[in-house]
Amino acid sequence: MSERKLLERLDHTTMKNKYTEKERLLRVLSGKLVDRPPVICPGGMMNGAVTEVIESLTENHNVDLKAMITAAKLVYDQTGFENYGVPFCMTAESEPLGIEVHFGDKYIEPRVTKYSKLPMEAVVKLEAICPQKEPRMKTVIDAIEQLANEDVPVIGNITGHMSTASSIVDPNIVFKYLLKKPDLSMEFMSYVNAYLIDYAIEMIKAGADVIAISDPTATGEILGKRIFEKYAVPFYQDFVNAIKPYGIPVIFHMCGNAKNVLESIDKAGFNALSFDSIVNMKQAKEVITTQLMGNVNTQSLNFGTLEKIEALTKVCLDSGVDIVSPACGLGMSTSIRQIKSMTQYVKEGYSHV
Amino acid sequence: MSKNELFDEIRENLIEMEEDAVIELCKKSLEMKIPAIETINEALIKGMDEVSKLYEEEEYFLPEILMCSDAMNGGLDVVKPHLNKSDMEDPIKVVIGVVEGDTHDIGKNLVKILMEASGMEVHDLGRDVPLDAFVNKAVEVSSDLIVMSTLMSTTMDGMGKVISKLEAKGIRDQFKVFIGGGPISQFYADRIGADVYTNDASDAVREAKKMMGRAS
Repeated sequence: MSERKLLERLDHTTMKNKYTEKERLLRVLSGKLVDRPPVICPGGMMNGAVTEVIESLTENHNVDLKAMITAAKLVYDQTGFENYGVPFCMTAESEPLGIEVHFGDKYIEPRVTKYSKLPMEAVVKLEAICPQKEPRMKTVIDAIEQLANEDVPVIGNITGHMSTASSIVDPNIVFKYLLKKPDLSMEFMSYVNAYLIDYAIEMIKAGADVIAISDPTATGEILGKRIFEKYAVPFYQDFVNAIKPYGIPVIFHMCGNAKNVLESIDKAGFNALSFDSIVNMKQAKEVITTQLMGNVNTQSLNFGTLEKIEALTKVCLDSGVDIVSPACGLGMSTSIRQIKSMTQYVKEGYSHV
Repeated sequence: MSKNELFDEIRENLIEMEEDAVIELCKKSLEMKIPAIETINEALIKGMDEVSKLYEEEEYFLPEILMCSDAMNGGLDVVKPHLNKSDMEDPIKVVIGVVEGDTHDIGKNLVKILMEASGMEVHDLGRDVPLDAFVNKAVEVSSDLIVMSTLMSTTMDGMGKVISKLEAKGIRDQFKVFIGGGPISQFYADRIGADVYTNDASDAVREAKKMMGRAS
């Protein structure tokens, strides 16, 4: 750490707890110094609505507006994560394109049960999707509007274009077409990305403080660097550029081993990059130029001892992450107690020097 | 064109993901009266071996594997009907699937492709597979291996339950149980009594051959 940075940090220890949770997160996402990293669980693919948290709900929090809002607040109240985040799945974006969705319950998340009957060639000829007209996307937007407040940051979550595309059309076909039918693939990705951008803008208008995109199917581990740079990065850049005028930061999460695409994803312009537990954060920090988020192992959060969870959280902090978060989606059977050992360690067990 | 030159061309086109070319060249092999078993072993399977290497070297990824697999299967469809029954040594039989409750199947598909590419007979149960289905299918086809995959820690327990079901029926010893997936580890495999845990698809194929005493 440079001497200048060290001195700045020393000044900041006197400002402990000066910030609201919203201020802290927004400061970090714009590269400003804070007293300590925030600890968040954005929502969407990576959400804190585990079974123990949502036990008391009587309606499905993936579908019902009131239940969605309540679930977001329950996560905040009970786990120690310093944000509200909606929705709690990755299916709202692909739903309008004729797929079948199981809406999940308190034990298992929503999932796609049947891909669209439409082939890719037909999907790209459809009219643009309008998020405000789609029931579940509208519910998410309305939830954000009602959750918006002064102190707790509200994160609107979006499934990235590659994952959305491969929830509409069978991923085996999507992957093959990337090589076999590049023009059609580009058209399909553009079609999907366009309404994801509209969705994000509606979330922002509703009061979202941060947008978080997760795109697990686009991981470098599956696509490789060549295809990632051709079919993933340009669309992320379009997304970021479309959101820029609104002044709202964007977080990006990638699952799996992202080592081969670290430099590529850094080019996209996101305010923070969130990685899975297999990524060495110290090494990532040497490569990426934006803020780093992650990456407490979710198996350990679910099944590990409290000591192990604290130790892993400490590793994240010592590696220099700017935001602490789980490494990936939490298992539904993860206990509140286990989650809190992570969040409390960040809030109370951490000191700069 | 000599036989070896033809095989070289088939392998190269397979690696280059040129399905139509592989199909045409396999048709040519029949015109040249080359035994189907030789085309399969020397051209198609050896071609996919190269593809496996490229995957391990991180040159090829899933999209490329899927395309190469299509090319291989295209060629296979042409020559397979011309096999003599005595040609194929008994293939290793595999029942594979993603455990009940989980729909992530990319990893499982990769294992299936590489196993089929090396000549194994794979019965793919798909994803979200009810636990009994693993047992029933394995018995039905007299499988050698039962291969289970999951990406989710919430569905891992299913693997142990399948092993318990095999034990309850007194047939555990008839099958080798392979497990893999994101939350899986050697520690977990030992805990539930699985025979093999592998970290990736290529290892799964290697271990399968090793277990069954076949040349790799």
